Amino acid sequence: MKLRILLADDHEIVRRGLCALLQKHEGWEVCGEASDGREAVEMAKSLKPDVVIVDIGMPYLNGLDTTRQLLQHDPHFKVIVLTITDSDQVIREALDAGARGFVLKSDAARDLVSAVEALQSKRMFFTPRVNDLVLAGFLDKGHAISRNEPPNLPTLTVREREVTQLLAEGKSSKEVASLLNLSTKTVETHRSNIMRKLSLHSIRDLVVYAIKNNIIQIQMPPQIQRPSETTVA
Amino acid sequence: MMQTSSLREHNQLMAVRILLVDDHPIVRQGLRTLLEGRSGWEVVGEASDGLEALDKIDALQPDVVVLDVTMPRMNGLEACRLIQRRQKPAGLEVLFVTQHDSPQMMREALDAGARGYVVKSNAARDLLEAVEAVSQHRVFTALARSPQASC
Repeated sequence: MKLRILLADDHEIVRRGLCALLQKHEGWEVCGEASDGREAVEMAKSLKPDVVIVDIGMPYLNGLDTTRQLLQHDPHFKVIVLTITDSDQVIREALDAGARGFVLKSDAARDLVSAVEALQSKRMFFTPRVNDLVLAGFLDKGHAISRNEPPNLPTLTVREREVTQLLAEGKSSKEVASLLNLSTKTVETHRSNIMRKLSLHSIRDLVVYAIKNNIIQIQMPPQIQRPSETTVA
Repeated sequence: MMQTSSLREHNQLMAVRILLVDDHPIVRQGLRTLLEGRSGWEVVGEASDGLEALDKIDALQPDVVVLDVTMPRMNGLEACRLIQRRQKPAGLEVLFVTQHDSPQMMREALDAGARGYVVKSNAARDLLEAVEAVSQHRVFTALARSPQASC
């Protein structure tokens, strides 16, 4: 019986690369591809894959909240998080969300097969940096990573996090309502609750909060260097 | 017989040698999978940053360089400018495939000498058309929200 893998990444070109990599492995099959977190959750519920690989920076529902929703639905889902950064905060959130594997996108061609193999053998797979941070947690309680650790930030509900992401992506309350099958009034209530809980005063503040807390990700352009400043090597 | 030889000649005319430049091997794999599906096109090499790309261009003489913007050591814009200034072999064209979905970045890319600009989120939709256009020295640009690409 083949190991069934669900891929979730908003870039088709990345999914193609991941598929090509995973399908070289005899005994594995990519049973589905999702282009955002909401689609991934729905597909996982119907396809019941053995492993779900989720990109962190996806529209509508990011990879961390996708992981939370998947495990809330079925704690047996095995999730590998793909990320462009292994900052302390992202590591903490991925572990807290319940990810069993953590792979840097830049290293996916090297590490992803090992990560899936690890999960297949009921082990976990983390980058060396995650391992160091977890180890530091045992050695130094001040830097402990614990799922019981009180969160640094006010707790938003799953629904509030979804609404936060969609608002931060620039959607109106009406659009959010349509996407989540809610009434506009309910979305407005969520929005008020979010702003109150987080002590935010504007959508701009909400966007900044969402970026700082990895709810949405942005890629900064390189510093533009004018031709006259370019050094010819 | 005549038809076969014409077809061969046509395919040779359409042959395109491509260099892929992106710091994520998994993205390069995805691009390769897509491009190698086109008869006559060949991915002749890969590079993971701008500096490596400059070396590979010298060694491999590609027709089209598919270039990411944000990369370590040397970003794509710098590499593109150097390609134009230092060593651009006759016929070589640069096509950016990048995550930056902004008119400003697209303008920077074209000013740097690129012939094409495609956003990564739409690469699966736009890449083949873009490579075909730039390999024939036509401009191809498409931002993610473009209703359609412009050539």
